[in-house]
Amino acid sequence: MTTTTLTPKTNPASGPQARTSPAAWLRAVPLAPAVSAAVVLFFVIAAIAPQLLTHRDPFAIDLANALQPPGLAHPFGTDQSGRDLYTRVVYGARESLLIGLGATGLAIGIAVILGVASGLGGRLLDGVVSRGLEVLFAFPVLLLAMLFVTIYGPSVTTQIVAVGLGTAPGYARMIRGQVLAVRHSGYVEAAHALGHSRWTVLRQHVFPNAMRPLVAVVTLGIGQSIVWASGLAFLGLGVAPPSPEWGALLDAGRMFITRAWWLEVMPGLAIVAIALAATSLGHFIQKKLEGAQS
Amino acid sequence: MENRQPAYQPPADSTFRRRGRHRTAAVRTALAGSASVLALLLAGCGAGAGVAGAGEGSGEKVEGGTLRYAHLQEPPCIYGGWVQQAFLSRQVLDSLVSQTDDGKIVPWLAKSWSVSDDQKTWTFKLKDGVKFTDGTPVDAKAIADNFDYWAAGGNGTVQAHIGEYYKSAKAVDAGTVEIALKAPFTPLLSALSQGYFGIQSPTALKERTDQQNCEAPIGSGPFTVGAWKRGESVTFEKNPAYNSAPENARHQGPAYVDNIVWSFVQDNTSRFGSLASGESDAIGEVPTVDFEAAKSQYQVQQYITPGRPVTLSLNTVKGPFTDKLVRQAFAYSADRKAAVDSAFLGVVPFEGNGTVSQSTPGYNKDVVDDYPFDQAKANELLDKAGWTERNADGVRVKDGKELTIDLVFGLNSIVTTEGATALQNLQEQVKPVGFKVNLVPVTQADLFSGAYSTPDKYDATLGYWTSPHAGILYINFRQNTKAKPNYANTTFYNNAAIEKTILKANSAKTTEEANKYYAQAQQALSDEAVAVGLYTQTSSLAVQPKLKDVWLEASQGEPVFHDAYFTK
Repeated sequence: MTTTTLTPKTNPASGPQARTSPAAWLRAVPLAPAVSAAVVLFFVIAAIAPQLLTHRDPFAIDLANALQPPGLAHPFGTDQSGRDLYTRVVYGARESLLIGLGATGLAIGIAVILGVASGLGGRLLDGVVSRGLEVLFAFPVLLLAMLFVTIYGPSVTTQIVAVGLGTAPGYARMIRGQVLAVRHSGYVEAAHALGHSRWTVLRQHVFPNAMRPLVAVVTLGIGQSIVWASGLAFLGLGVAPPSPEWGALLDAGRMFITRAWWLEVMPGLAIVAIALAATSLGHFIQKKLEGAQS
Repeated sequence: MENRQPAYQPPADSTFRRRGRHRTAAVRTALAGSASVLALLLAGCGAGAGVAGAGEGSGEKVEGGTLRYAHLQEPPCIYGGWVQQAFLSRQVLDSLVSQTDDGKIVPWLAKSWSVSDDQKTWTFKLKDGVKFTDGTPVDAKAIADNFDYWAAGGNGTVQAHIGEYYKSAKAVDAGTVEIALKAPFTPLLSALSQGYFGIQSPTALKERTDQQNCEAPIGSGPFTVGAWKRGESVTFEKNPAYNSAPENARHQGPAYVDNIVWSFVQDNTSRFGSLASGESDAIGEVPTVDFEAAKSQYQVQQYITPGRPVTLSLNTVKGPFTDKLVRQAFAYSADRKAAVDSAFLGVVPFEGNGTVSQSTPGYNKDVVDDYPFDQAKANELLDKAGWTERNADGVRVKDGKELTIDLVFGLNSIVTTEGATALQNLQEQVKPVGFKVNLVPVTQADLFSGAYSTPDKYDATLGYWTSPHAGILYINFRQNTKAKPNYANTTFYNNAAIEKTILKANSAKTTEEANKYYAQAQQALSDEAVAVGLYTQTSSLAVQPKLKDVWLEASQGEPVFHDAYFTK
């Protein structure tokens, strides 16, 4: 069920898969995770080494070829300054992914501290943290993020912090629940009964078990964060043009929606693709982990 | 705050605009465009909208109704020194004089005027029986009080226009007011025709708070300020006793519509969409991307704003642009016309003159081509200026410092998204020469707070300033000295000789003579390359076929709704 099963087609003589019918082959391969992994891989390459995927410069203008629809020369078309949109989407992956990963990482970091403290820290601390989280919950994520960006000005860093802070309360509450559940589980009681120190129990049993579901949640969160960040950029609170960050591309193309649909659709598809792929992978990992647990 | 950075616009007397004398090819195209639009529209109405006849005024007139207008920007207040405020205050305030499309000054609150032989005393005779909407009379005393109010700081932009010349005002009798100047000021009437010079009730000015006067000024105009829902709309109510329309209005007497709901819709797509959905009867600032479509469906008008065009002011006292060679190299290094034409889809004309726009009387069109696109020349100049090395990115380096230009601009307040696109084009165009341009968009609040107005804050900044006369040169290039600070001098360029030429123009005996000196000053400033022209400020309107006689006035391009009426 790993993606390696995808490769056999090139070598029909080898292995038992070669003899199975295409339908069986398809059934054997978990298609969604495979495609998702391919999409994620594509954007990871785009983020690390975009020049492998395009030979153009994302900022180079070509005024004579402004607003060209998608075609052979420009698969995603060109924008109002004649810049190649495909190249811009590829180069935009770095900032968008950075914001997605950074914001999720920050959110999880804050959430782990608050969640664990709340779950293990006794009634008073739990009360304080939980009430605090409830207050934060009262604000929509976008509002918190906008407030932050308004105060500190738009940049990649503020976008990471803004989205990270905005999404942290949700994770924190989830971690608290996990910690509480694990804490009262039979194996933790058993470990205590066996005389393990508090610290050992925490480290070996509570923490790993409470955190395991997070792996899936993080993958889900990355896609979500990219959408939030793009939303902020779309509202003009993101990275400034001519940055090819995806939300900024959407914002810049908005004016032309009646005349150049590709300016909205192409970056929009990139956001949808990465968010879907990350979510789908997340679900897959979640299922695997549940399977491993049971 | 209004006269700092990029101010806005006015119109004035003689030529500019659609029917201006000095037109470049670009303007001509734009003009021809709007003229043909009008023709189209007129024809279109007859055919399309089920109107009985074609042409203005031939549809069956409906008295009354609510006119829904959608505008781009919402200023912090209604009365003030920003052109965006003049757009609103023009609906409620009358001025002394008005300006026609061909640049003539005609009576408004003043029915006639004369000037003394030494050109230092102006005498205005006022219309009889005009009242402010609070019931007090518009008499000579009221006019004199308004001049004193401006002089005392009531309006920074009025100060910028006439502050250096105004001496005193006095009521000779109830219907005659005398304005004394310190020196002759040729463009006076033109200046007075702008919205900032709208006459307010002195009683209201005295008895109400500044806030009240700013949010709901009381004048003698065709409308009064009703409710203002911030972030949404201002409602203007018809003044049923209106009897003081300017001579160039299309009718005398009260407005035809009952009220105007003037909403603020910053998003271009939504604003234009509100016409299609029928939510708006008219919109301002037709998005360039929709301009062609608008022309085929609505009555479209475009106004080329006189004064300072949207221009890059280069910081002449700090950073790389202190060197004239570097300024000139910068001007040579970009194909600015291509950058502008592409960004605005040809709707807004390129303006190569960095100090005065093509619709301004006294415009010097010879300077437009002083700095054509010539990167070889730019390279040569930069080499000569000592910027001979380049770093790995191709950016020029001198004494270990990169040739970096921080270009600050007020996004969505002064510079539209199309303007920002033009800047991005320029940013790329100058790269091969070795300039690294950092675009720094700032918010309206930051811009107007003055946070970006000092020499250490930018190398270049983009701004415009509407003025119906070329005396805008005096506003922007009067020297900035300790004794006499001039915050409107955004290049920080002090040149006593050029200032002298401008002063000569301001006090010239005739407009022709004034324009001759203004032209000289433009050439001198162009030689120094302190301001690099990009495009003209514009106003535009798209109006539903059933709504007739909305027009853009000539001094600053404000929409006028006093004559507007619906047809069946």
